[in-house]
Amino acid sequence: MHFWQDPQFGNRMITLMAALLLVLQIMMVTQRWLITSIRAFALQSFLLACIATTIAYYNNAPHIYAAAALMLVVKVILLPVHFERLARHIEIHQEIEPLVNAPISVITAGLLTLMAYVVAESFHRPDEPLGPASLGHNTLAVAIAIFLIGFFMMLNRRKALSQVLALLSLENGIFLAAISLTYGMPMIVEVGIFFDVLVGGVVLAILVHQIRDTFDSMDVSRLTRLKG
Amino acid sequence: MTILLILSIPLLACGLTAILRSRQWMEVIHLASAALSFLSAVLLAGEVLRQGTVSIGNGFLYADQLSALTALLTAFVFLLCAPYAVGYLRREEADQRLAPSSDTHGTDALPKLRMYYTLTPLFVFCMFLVVVANNLGVMWIAVESTTLASIFLVTFYGRPTSLEAAWKYAMIGSVGLSMALFGTVLTYYSARMALGGDSVSALNWSVLVLQAPHFDKGVMRLAFIFILLGFGTKAGMAPMHTWKPDAYSEAPIPIATLMATAVLNCALYALARFHVLTVLCLGPAFASNLLILFGLLSVGVAVPFILVQRSSRRLLAYSSIDNGGIMVLGLGFGGAFGALAMLLHMTYHTVTKPLLFFCVGNAQQHTKSDSLRAAAGGLIHALPITAPMLMLGALAVTGTPPFGLFQSEFMVLRAGFAGPYMGAAVLLVVFLVAIFCGFFHQISQIVLGPPRGVPPEPICLWKTAPVIVLSILVIVSGFWLPAPLYQLVDGAARILAVHP
Repeated sequence: MHFWQDPQFGNRMITLMAALLLVLQIMMVTQRWLITSIRAFALQSFLLACIATTIAYYNNAPHIYAAAALMLVVKVILLPVHFERLARHIEIHQEIEPLVNAPISVITAGLLTLMAYVVAESFHRPDEPLGPASLGHNTLAVAIAIFLIGFFMMLNRRKALSQVLALLSLENGIFLAAISLTYGMPMIVEVGIFFDVLVGGVVLAILVHQIRDTFDSMDVSRLTRLKG
Repeated sequence: MTILLILSIPLLACGLTAILRSRQWMEVIHLASAALSFLSAVLLAGEVLRQGTVSIGNGFLYADQLSALTALLTAFVFLLCAPYAVGYLRREEADQRLAPSSDTHGTDALPKLRMYYTLTPLFVFCMFLVVVANNLGVMWIAVESTTLASIFLVTFYGRPTSLEAAWKYAMIGSVGLSMALFGTVLTYYSARMALGGDSVSALNWSVLVLQAPHFDKGVMRLAFIFILLGFGTKAGMAPMHTWKPDAYSEAPIPIATLMATAVLNCALYALARFHVLTVLCLGPAFASNLLILFGLLSVGVAVPFILVQRSSRRLLAYSSIDNGGIMVLGLGFGGAFGALAMLLHMTYHTVTKPLLFFCVGNAQQHTKSDSLRAAAGGLIHALPITAPMLMLGALAVTGTPPFGLFQSEFMVLRAGFAGPYMGAAVLLVVFLVAIFCGFFHQISQIVLGPPRGVPPEPICLWKTAPVIVLSILVIVSGFWLPAPLYQLVDGAARILAVHP
């Protein structure tokens, strides 16, 4: 048996990639350059597609290959390219000013990861029979951590485009949960969700553009006229 | 077949208006699609009443009494909004609000008009898909699509404030719905053990409901919290309600009407579907406590904002947050009575709220302002039909007897006092009284008073006829519901009132 056919090897690869996913998410929290953030997001999505492929290979689940391919097209290529073009077009490749400074952001991200592990631990049942390349509760904890950190990132950002990026990375956490917990939801759901993410990303990008045109800035903290 | 019909009509209308060049034809198609959608919703309701459930495509599309009722209410609002929109948009065009930069009006407004007449049927299509999708994942996609289809209707006027509203609407809505997606994933995870293998039908509600008692309890608990936060955001429950007043005050009146009634119903419909699964799995107490907490919070948050409100549309938005809260409370108080109260409240609210929105729209186009202070009273002299109807609607929506909303609020309270939730029911009474005073005070401020010397408006049939029809329906529905409609509501309530 070759080493790549060993389910244990697949399991370790998935855990490794999931850890990298979390590292990228924390890197995006502290990242001040918009273009770098977009690329980190693309890399994160690429790793997610790799995890999906690995799971599909070890579990003989062909429909997850399709999910991975969709992820590759939409979240690794289409959306990042679109966003990068937008960022260059409206010339905001300088820094993103977060509301909370970098050290405190990292500490917050660490605390959120801790919380995610506490939540995921409650789902862990060691007596349950494990399938081939079944994912440890590690992956679920990482998924919840990415979700929570994405949430924090949305609150912490002032630029419209970086809020959209935070939203999309938050959704990466959900997809990680979806493929790791359930080996992919039924195919039709995945196709629909990706369609939605694509359309949502484009719609938000257009809105970002309109905000830029109207306010001459992408600073959403200026959107404070409606009250009460 | 009726299910396919109800989905294809708005989609067809959307496609047709996208390629048409003449305004008259767009209006004709819009009106026809609204009428046909309503007709097919009635047909679907009839079919469901005769057969119990209707499904096609191996259970992919599925309609029971609950779906048929929600679809009927959506189609009803669409039916009334269509003629109103024609009159409303013609007036906006005449006032140069659709193409403010140019002085030769008429042709310049066409892109805006096409956007409205194309996106509105698409919006309605998404709502129909929410209620007939059996697969919970597809239902989630449809709910998210209602947000996407309506974002550009919120930015319709292109003002800086409408961009701000759309941004909040898009961001809060997307974050909320991503939580709902997480909840859906967790529901599937908790069901997976009970269901055995993976298949496309494994996320179908009609399959899940049979297996719900065997779901994993710990996971389902977490799933319901995410679902409640997610679809609660879409329904505008406090504290996730902040997008609602902004979006309602910036969108055109017919869209605000659809959002305040049909979208609210659809979001609560999605919540109710998951609520059934949760109750079957965990028993009623867990879900009820959460629903009552959020419901009371929504009603409570509406009180101060209604008392000090300065804008009439935001007033209506807070009233819709309040009514959504009452519906959630009905679901939370539980039992057959609570579920029936919730669905009756939903039905009466869907009849009453459009009346208020249309009247406020007429008043706003007359006074050119949304502000309650700037209107400065005396509306009853300038708009002799709209203004009294606005008073009527205000009485009805605050739950004054003999109108329908009084009966359903009374039933919600009865369900509350009957169960172990005495304290919540007492608080609800206090909030409702405060809302009645505030709302009525605000509306009478603009309606009553001496004339302001502005000549009365010529009556526009497009904008007045829906108001008259609705006010007749509001009065009649207080005394009499057609027997088939009541059967439908009752059947839907039986679906919601499950026992573990």
